[in-house]
Amino acid sequence: MSSRKKVLLKVIILGDSGVGKTSLMNQYVNKKFSASYKATIGADFLNKEVLVDDRLVTMQIWDTAGQERFQSLGVAFYRGADCCVLVYDVNNSKSFEALDSWRDEFLIQASPRDPESFPFVVIGNKIDVEESKRMISSKRAMTFCQSKGNIPYFETSAKEAVNVEQAFEVIARSALAQEETEEFSGEYNPINIHDNAERDGCAC
Amino acid sequence: MAGSSNVQFTPPPSPPSPTASFFDVSDEEEDEYNTIAHAAAKRGVRLLFSKSKVYVHPTPSAKDNIPGFIALVQQKPLPSSRNNTPSISPKNADLSSYLLAWVPESALGDAYSTYVKVDLADDDSPPRQKYLVPPLPETTTYRDPIGLYAFAVPLSQIYSLLVRPPSLGWWFGSLVINTRAGDSFPALFFHDSECESTILQKKKRARETFDPFGEDGNVFWGGDEVLRWLRRYAEVQRSNVDSTVYLINPSEEDQLSFGKAHITDTSAAKSKEPSGPSAQKSGPAPHDAGMDPFMKAIKETRWKVLEQLSKITTFTRRTANEIADNPRVPPQVRRLLKTPEIQTLQEEFDSARIYLARWAMSISEQSERERNQRIWTAKDVLEMENSSVGDFEILDLETGKISIHERRKPVTRKEWEGFFDPHTGRLQVTVEEVKERIFHGGLDPNDGVRKEAWLYLLEVYPWDSNQDERQALMNSRRDEYIRLKGAWWERMVEGDSTAEQQEWWKEQRNRIEKDVHRTDRMIPLFAGEDIPHPDPDSPFADTGTNVHLEQMKDMLLTYNEYNPDLGYVQGMSDLLAPTYAVMQDDAVAFWAFVGFMKRMERNFLRDQSGMRQQLLTLDHLVQLMDPKLYLHLQSADSTNFFFFFRMLLVWYKREFEWVDVLRLWEALWSDYLTSNFHLFIALAILEKHRDVIMDHLKQFDEVLKYINELSNTMDLIPILARAESLFHRFERSVQAIDKKNNFPAPPLSAQQRKPTTRSQTQPSSSHPNSTSNISTNSNAKSPDRSSGPSPSRGISTALPSTPGDNQPDPKVISPELRALLRKDDFWNQNSDGPST
Repeated sequence: MSSRKKVLLKVIILGDSGVGKTSLMNQYVNKKFSASYKATIGADFLNKEVLVDDRLVTMQIWDTAGQERFQSLGVAFYRGADCCVLVYDVNNSKSFEALDSWRDEFLIQASPRDPESFPFVVIGNKIDVEESKRMISSKRAMTFCQSKGNIPYFETSAKEAVNVEQAFEVIARSALAQEETEEFSGEYNPINIHDNAERDGCAC
Repeated sequence: MAGSSNVQFTPPPSPPSPTASFFDVSDEEEDEYNTIAHAAAKRGVRLLFSKSKVYVHPTPSAKDNIPGFIALVQQKPLPSSRNNTPSISPKNADLSSYLLAWVPESALGDAYSTYVKVDLADDDSPPRQKYLVPPLPETTTYRDPIGLYAFAVPLSQIYSLLVRPPSLGWWFGSLVINTRAGDSFPALFFHDSECESTILQKKKRARETFDPFGEDGNVFWGGDEVLRWLRRYAEVQRSNVDSTVYLINPSEEDQLSFGKAHITDTSAAKSKEPSGPSAQKSGPAPHDAGMDPFMKAIKETRWKVLEQLSKITTFTRRTANEIADNPRVPPQVRRLLKTPEIQTLQEEFDSARIYLARWAMSISEQSERERNQRIWTAKDVLEMENSSVGDFEILDLETGKISIHERRKPVTRKEWEGFFDPHTGRLQVTVEEVKERIFHGGLDPNDGVRKEAWLYLLEVYPWDSNQDERQALMNSRRDEYIRLKGAWWERMVEGDSTAEQQEWWKEQRNRIEKDVHRTDRMIPLFAGEDIPHPDPDSPFADTGTNVHLEQMKDMLLTYNEYNPDLGYVQGMSDLLAPTYAVMQDDAVAFWAFVGFMKRMERNFLRDQSGMRQQLLTLDHLVQLMDPKLYLHLQSADSTNFFFFFRMLLVWYKREFEWVDVLRLWEALWSDYLTSNFHLFIALAILEKHRDVIMDHLKQFDEVLKYINELSNTMDLIPILARAESLFHRFERSVQAIDKKNNFPAPPLSAQQRKPTTRSQTQPSSSHPNSTSNISTNSNAKSPDRSSGPSPSRGISTALPSTPGDNQPDPKVISPELRALLRKDDFWNQNSDGPST
């Protein structure tokens, strides 16, 4: 049965409050948009099964609260992440400028074994808003991403479902690659053995 | 005898449709047996016993359930049935004139009223009056489509009854008739909560004997009555092998193999039943007849549910056996899980387990609802009092208190006004009395009493103030609000602050605006946008706004100004919305919010120390109150209790419906039992779901998901009641431990009421040391708070199973736990301004 070869990929979405983290997650997983998502408190996740090059994987996508002070409790769910998505609002320069500190904070708290190669994806959201309101140009964002080790960059509209699917496909690939590197490099996984053993159920 | 000529033995060609008046009551004082005739004689059969609201569930859908009566009737046996049953003993010959029957309500026609009359006859013996009803189709095999027709089985033909009382997981008790011919009739489900006679009988029992329990100590239910009546006419023997099987007039052989024999392998016996014994008598029974009709029903339901749900989400795999072998899962489900189809399904869909978990919970919630209708007796209360510390099963009993609370009426405006002297406006009852009323009854949601009472609960008005003082106070508060609001407004317009301040302020304003526009927009007050946005640069300029959103924005900006060290933090808009919705006056709501924030400030500190502190306290509380659950959470890597973060941060605002949130908050504000009652709410929620958590949830993500998804599924009132009883248990535990540890038992109640000085309470930033001096002198390890919630610091339980702790330290109450006994955690601070 093909389902026996399942992989769980843990993806964390970070970014300032109100940039659209919850909306992106829900657009991707449930194909729905609502203008009235409440501010996320604590953390929650959704799962989605996807095929990546004929491999069935389960993405566990974690949505988090955006205000900085709530990040200190993030340790609880950052651990074992396979990819981190940094989201900003293209109409809000503050949210773009915060990307760097989100990235640092994540690396500190998740402490992946090889921080240099840990996969991030940057998403500039809310491109549906009229052009005159736009604060961050694509060029500026891409320059930033290049300087941080060629982080893949996407511009999306969670509201109008633009580019969301494409972004998450890359997220899934990056996460899977990360998961495989970790498996390959013969494992020490700080989460727990139990958890790890489960995931290895697929490591044929 | 006089009536003997009436007896006729010719079977009716077809059941006629007699008129009820004819059959209803026979006043003749005749020998009862001989007055009973068959339909051909147009006399009807005698109805000895009936019980209403006994359903057949022909499909898994509740819509298809067919209500009916179970009945015991007496009639002359058909000659044929006598002749064709060679092995019938003389005893059985008599039995064949008694029939156990089920009749759908719809088939009763005019006889309905007779069935109701007999059902409600409050008699232990057959009614003196003879109630006659149309005869029922006598049968020993069941072939008809389920539930369409009535059936009546002579007692002589009944081999056994499969009786399942209602229990956790099976909220309808049920009964299945297995005939000597090897047939099983459809399960009859007793909807006791709809059945008037059962409700009355329960009440009567409770009243007369203080014993709500039926035979074998279970809760009394409709099936008990059926068995009691059967015993009058037949020998009813409960099988030793399988306690759900009752043999009717068992032969010696049967008794040997089923009744008195000492077979210990119950699983083997179970598989024999019900087809086993009947197979011996009448050859192999058809496969389906062997299947418990229960199983048939569940199988269909379950299959569909699993199939649908498992498509949604995926969780990590568990083996089916894990659930299947779990003794807490109802046996039917366990058996079900062992069927090959389900196992395949589970293999295909990893998520099956988590949905099973949720499903199991919904079933037990149903059954809890049922149990809540039970009558609470003095005996139960006594048991509760004697219960030993640390044994959680008692909780199930304690939830029975709920019904008491439900009966407590909310405090109305009229009652509230009665608390105050009509001339001076001074409180003329004790504060404690008022708080007790609010804690247990809540405030009337519709008559505006909240508008007034909340101001006391939130310490805008002192409890000992008079009308004039309050008037003056409110006037100065209004002025103060205008001043505060003016301050930031001025700065916004004139921009006289540093660039840095300006930047911070702009950021806060954006944050507030974003959050206000996504807070409680489903509440009519906050719904819709009907005015243009005042600021064309706002991200909401295109969307528009409404006057209440603008008020919310202003109040939060004013709070940001009033308490600049804290500032606005996400979650505060959730706390303000209900306050504003109740007050509908920005200045009043603002000060009520300020009062609320005094309690809540610790939740929003930059270093999150207040949240850590509360999660740690919860950690200690679970360790003390439910060590087994705690160990499980440890094994699931979940003792950070992070999954309670949202609930604690905004006091369950996201977990309950709006109206329930208001009710909950006023209970919490009352500080009636403790000023940290919200942690007992958390414990109550955890306890309610403990079995599911322990049985099914093995990892942090699973626990978090499960708890998060409880949002908007919980009934508040039972949780409040559970939390209250947990608090009392906690209090008793602390007292017991203190005694045990030879503390000079601290007079807790005195301790709580003793006025404390201001310096003693800094709830968020320091320990409530005023109480901790009692505990810290002993083995209490001071928890290392810098490392966040960490297990096994505050209390070391003496449990042998505590991992890595082989030194059985005596139980010690940590300072965190001891602080839970306080009722004054918040109100001793300087109330004239924000704590800085």
